[in-house]
Amino acid sequence: MILDLHAHSIKSDDGRAKVQNYCQWIKAREIAIDGFVLTEHRQFDDESDYKELGQKHGITILKGAEVETEYGHVLIFGVTKALQESFDFTNIHLSLAQVIESCDAHGAVAVPCHPGRKRVGMAAHLAEFGIPAGVRTVEVYNGGSRGVEDQIAQQMADEQSYLGVGGSDAHIVSHIGRCATEFAAAINSELELVEALKGSDFKALKISQEDA
Amino acid sequence: MTINAITDVEFGEELPAFEPDTSLPNVKQFAVAAGWDGPRFTDHEYARKEGLPGALVPGIMSQGFLSAMIHHWAPTAEVRSIDTIFRAPCVVDQPYFINGVVTDIDEDSGTVEIDLTVTNDAKETRVFGTARVIIPS
Repeated sequence: MILDLHAHSIKSDDGRAKVQNYCQWIKAREIAIDGFVLTEHRQFDDESDYKELGQKHGITILKGAEVETEYGHVLIFGVTKALQESFDFTNIHLSLAQVIESCDAHGAVAVPCHPGRKRVGMAAHLAEFGIPAGVRTVEVYNGGSRGVEDQIAQQMADEQSYLGVGGSDAHIVSHIGRCATEFAAAINSELELVEALKGSDFKALKISQEDA
Repeated sequence: MTINAITDVEFGEELPAFEPDTSLPNVKQFAVAAGWDGPRFTDHEYARKEGLPGALVPGIMSQGFLSAMIHHWAPTAEVRSIDTIFRAPCVVDQPYFINGVVTDIDEDSGTVEIDLTVTNDAKETRVFGTARVIIPS
């Protein structure tokens, strides 16, 4: 099962894609993914329910979040009410240690994203803050990466023995599915996604337009 | 294919791409006309001293390129909005590629949404955004 683990909709301040258009695009272009996770910036989208839309298109649509820490941006999968109450998702100065501790306590998984990117990526902050405890998986393929950013991410993952996932970081419709993560298990819910991410049977993928 | 009516538009349709003229003389001409003729847009050496990779293509010029692409495709289209996110600078005298693709069609209101991107030689996205245009029925 292939999921794009990092996508933004119009719920994010810089997102310009409607979720139904992501679905249309995936089907029209035969993008080789089975679903995607909406990881809106600094929030969890409690109000939207995409089950019917997903069923209509045969696409798994899950929800997560992207928060901001001193080590850069971090994807969170398995967001619950209790997790949302444990720290302020809108705070742009979160402590990565606190985010990881809260995720562990509430059955969620934290994954630093685009770690090779300047300022908002984890690798850029290692010299200042050291190797953070508790990180197990990082996003090694990001669809918005430029230059050597993915190489930096992969090198850091190799050096620290991190597992790697991929996500498009799509903000517009046509960017969905540029990178993704292939899971051995079938995933139809946030809970199943968390279980899969707590294991190790997954790998990051880059999906070119030609493959789609 | 030139679009004259919304019924001609298809979801996923790609607008004719083009490589804009980002040469220094062209950017200078635009910057002067737009009242943005500061040296960071017209002088590579000055821009580099400011820590930039070179003279920059003004953001409103990039938006102009995107708008021009839409009108080459649909000459009668009314561009209601071009909403851009600038992820990385576009540098004068370097090649860029302007692309657009239809991602939503509302035939009732005549509205079409178009994904817009400006990419470089390495296929890195420098600017992305969306346009909302009205096309006659």
